[in-house]
Amino acid sequence: MQAKLRDLLITNILAIVLGIVASGLMLLFLGKNPVSAYSVLITSVVRDSYTFADIFVKATPLMFTALAFAFTYKANLYNIGAQGQFYIGAVIAAASSLWLQNILPGGLVLMITLLLTMVGGGLWGAFIGFVKARYNSNEFLVSMMSTYVALAIMNYLLRTFLIETKAEYPQTDALAASVWLPRIIPGTRLHIGFVLAVLACVGVWVLLYKTPLGYRIRAVGYNAGAAEMSGINAKKLYILAFFISGALAGAAGFTEVNGVQHMLVQGFNPDLGAAGIGIAILANGNPIGIIFAAILFGALKVGGTIMGQMSGIPSSIIELMQGFVMVFVILSYFVRTWLENNREKRKLQKAVAK
Amino acid sequence: MATAFFELRGISKYFAKVIANQDVSFSIQRGEVLALLGENGAGKSTIMKILYGLYKADEGKLLKDGREIKIDSPKEAMELGISMIQQHFSLVPAHTVTDNIILGNVHGIIDHKLFREEIKRLAELYGFELNPDDFIRDLAVGVQQKVEILKALYQKTNLLIMDEPTAVLTPQEAENLMGFVRDFTAQGNSVIFITHKLKEVMSVADRIIVMRAGRVFGDIKRAETNELELSKLMIGRDLNWVTKEDRQESIDQEVRLEIQQVTLQEKTGVPALKDISLTLHKGEILGIAGVSGNGQQELCEIVCGAILPTKGKILLDGEDITERKIRARIDLGIGYVPADRSSDGMIMDMSIAENMLLKSSYAKKWQKRGFIDKQKLNQYTWQEIQDYSIKAPSPETIARGLSGGNQQKVVLAREVDNGEKVIVFDQPTRGLDLGAVNHVHQVILQERAKGKSVLLVSTELAEIFALSDRIAILYKGEIQGVFNSAELTTEKIGLLMAGFREREVKSDAG
Repeated sequence: MQAKLRDLLITNILAIVLGIVASGLMLLFLGKNPVSAYSVLITSVVRDSYTFADIFVKATPLMFTALAFAFTYKANLYNIGAQGQFYIGAVIAAASSLWLQNILPGGLVLMITLLLTMVGGGLWGAFIGFVKARYNSNEFLVSMMSTYVALAIMNYLLRTFLIETKAEYPQTDALAASVWLPRIIPGTRLHIGFVLAVLACVGVWVLLYKTPLGYRIRAVGYNAGAAEMSGINAKKLYILAFFISGALAGAAGFTEVNGVQHMLVQGFNPDLGAAGIGIAILANGNPIGIIFAAILFGALKVGGTIMGQMSGIPSSIIELMQGFVMVFVILSYFVRTWLENNREKRKLQKAVAK
Repeated sequence: MATAFFELRGISKYFAKVIANQDVSFSIQRGEVLALLGENGAGKSTIMKILYGLYKADEGKLLKDGREIKIDSPKEAMELGISMIQQHFSLVPAHTVTDNIILGNVHGIIDHKLFREEIKRLAELYGFELNPDDFIRDLAVGVQQKVEILKALYQKTNLLIMDEPTAVLTPQEAENLMGFVRDFTAQGNSVIFITHKLKEVMSVADRIIVMRAGRVFGDIKRAETNELELSKLMIGRDLNWVTKEDRQESIDQEVRLEIQQVTLQEKTGVPALKDISLTLHKGEILGIAGVSGNGQQELCEIVCGAILPTKGKILLDGEDITERKIRARIDLGIGYVPADRSSDGMIMDMSIAENMLLKSSYAKKWQKRGFIDKQKLNQYTWQEIQDYSIKAPSPETIARGLSGGNQQKVVLAREVDNGEKVIVFDQPTRGLDLGAVNHVHQVILQERAKGKSVLLVSTELAEIFALSDRIAILYKGEIQGVFNSAELTTEKIGLLMAGFREREVKSDAG
C-alpha cells in the first residue's frame, strides 16, 4: 500500500514536470526563454484576485466532468462522453432558465434548473449504460459517439427554438440576472457553483465508500464475476452508474451556463470532457483527489490566457502543456501498473526461492 | 539416447500474481509423439506458449539439438520449425483456404495458381480432402483444423504443437487426426499435444509428461504406464486423511436438496450436464469425485443459482427453487465456496471486511441509516478472523495481501454463515498448505454436525474419501454412480473417473 501511494505521487509529479519541460522545449524553438516565460506566468496568476479566482471558476466544470469519468471508472466502465452529457445539461440549463426566469423567483428557478440538468444529463448517460447492459455494446464507443449526437442536438436547437431574439448568431438570449448563480467573492467571477462542485466531490466519495450502493458499484468494478456470483446485478448497476455519471456531467452545464456564460453559445468549452478524463486519471479516480487535480488544470487554463497576452508566445502553448501533462499522466498510469506487476512478481519469485 | 530435438530446462513463468510454471524440464525426440497431460490450469498451455514464443520465460533455457536457443516471437519459433495450433483457431473466416495458408508468408505479387497447386499437392500427400478455394466460414470445425495443420506443414514444420486438438472434433474426426499424427511423426517429425483426456493419450502418445499446478509430476513412456497411474499423477496423491472419529455416522434421512434430472445445454450444443439426479440429506456430505472439467463447476453453479438448467428441477426442502436466481438462493441459505476464489469468490482489491459483506450488501443488518455500518461489520469481521485464525492484522487488510490459505478461510467464514442450509464446496483445499487443508476439513465436518448439508466437489480423492458420507462420480457431465463411501476403493473410483461404466469396473477391479 505504501509503495503504491509512493508510486502514485512520484509518477504524477514527474508527469506534470515532464509536461512543463516538454512544452518549455516548444518555447525554446520559438526562441523564447521558457524560464522567464514561466516566471511571468506564475507572477501574473497570483497578481490580482480576479485572475486568481478564475482558477477556481475554470476548475468548477472540470470537477464535474472528472467525477463523471471517475464514477463509471470505479465500476470498470469508461464514460468518455462527459462532453456530450455536459452539452445536454447546458442546453437544458439555458432552456429551463429562459423559460422559467419570468415566471418563478430566481432561487427556485436555479434549483429546478439544476435538477433538470442532472436528470437530463443522467438520462443521456443512462442510455449508454442501457445499451451496454442490454446489448453488450461497447460503452467506450457509444459514449464517445453520443457526444457528437449531443453536439448536433445543441447546434440544431441553437439554430431553431433557442436562437436569440435577433436571430443573428447561433446563441441564446442572455439570462436574466435573477437566475445567475450568486458570486461568492465580489469583484471576481467566482460563483457558488464551485462550492457545489466541491460538495459533489465529497458526496461522490461518500456514496462510493460509505453506502451499500457505492460498495456494490466498486465490487462490480473490481471483479464483476465475483459480484454476479454474490447476487449483485451488474447490468442494473451499469445503467445506474452511467445515470449518476451523466447527471454529474450535466451539472457542469448548469454551472457554466448559469454561473459563467449566462447564455448558451454554440460550441463553447469543447474540451471539458477530455480534460475531465485527464483529471480523473491524475487523481487516480479518487473524488477528493479530483478537487486538487481540477484546480491544477484550472490554473493551467488561466495561465494559458495570460501567456497569450505575452508578446510572441502563442496561447496555444498552454494547450500544448495541458496536452503534454495529460499524455504523461496517462502514461504514468501504465508505468504504475508495470511497477506494481514487477513488484508482485519479485515477491512471488522470492517466496518460491525460500 | 540421442540428443533431444528440443529441450526445455528449468523453465519458470510468473504472471503478476500466480506461478504458471515452476522449474519445468522435459525434452522431445525426433519422431516422437509427446502428450502433455494435466488438468485445467496445470500450466500446459503456458509452457507451450513459451516454446512457441508467445510468452517469455522468467527462468530457464530452451535447447534445440543440444544448443541453447532464444525464441522471442512465434515468427522465430516458426523459423526453427515449430508451429502451434491454438485451441481457438487463428483463421480468417472471410478468406479462402489458400489465402489463409499463405497469409504472412508471401510478398509482392501473389501467384495464386502456383500456391493453389502447391497446397493441393500438400493436402493430397497427407490424404486431406480439401478444396483450396473454399471459404473458411463454410468449413466444418474439423476441416478448419486441417487447414491449420496444412498451414503448419506449408511452413515446413518439424515440431507441431496442438492445444486440445480433439476438444472440438467428432470421434471420427479425432480418429483421422490420430492417423495424421502417426504419418507425420513417421517421417521424423515430432508432435506435442496438450490434453486432459486419458484415453487419447494412451492411444497415440509415445511418452507422457504429466503436469500439475505448474510443475512436471511425471515423465513416463506410454508402454510403462496405464490410465490409472496417469489419473493419479494428474489429480495428485497428496493424501491428507482427516480422521472420521469425531463424526456421528448417522445421517438424518430427511431430504434437504433434490436435483431432479437436470440437464444443462451449452451454446455449442454439447450438454455440460446430462440428466443429473442427486439427493442431499440433512447433515450429509455428498462428495462429487471426478477429473476436473467434467461438469463440476456447472453442477455447483446450478445449485447456487448462477446458471439455470435447461431441463430438470431443483428442490430445497420440497420447494421448487429452479427459477430462483443467485440472490434469492443466498437468502434461502445456500452458500457456495467456488473453486476459483480469486475470480468468483472474493474481491482481491477490497478489504477482508468488505469481502465479508459481499453476499449481504442488500441485508439490513449491515446498514445504519442507509450507510454501511462499518463498526458493526468490522467487529463481526474481527470475530471471524479470530474464529478461523486468519492471519491478518485487521479487518481493513486488503485480501490480496493474504496467503491463499487465509483468503480461502475468509471465503469459508462468509459462506458458512451464508449457507444456513446447504453449502457447496468446489475444490475447497486446492493449493492450500497442510495446516489450512486440515482447518478447512474440520470446518466442513463441523457444519455437517450442525445439520447442514454439504456438496463437496473435489479432485482430491483422499479428501472425498475422508469427508463424504456418499460419493457420486461425475464424468463428461454424467453421474457414473452414487456409492456409500465404504463401497468404493481408490482403484474402482479411478476407473469410474476415467469413464468406465460401473459394470466394466466390477469385472475389472471388483
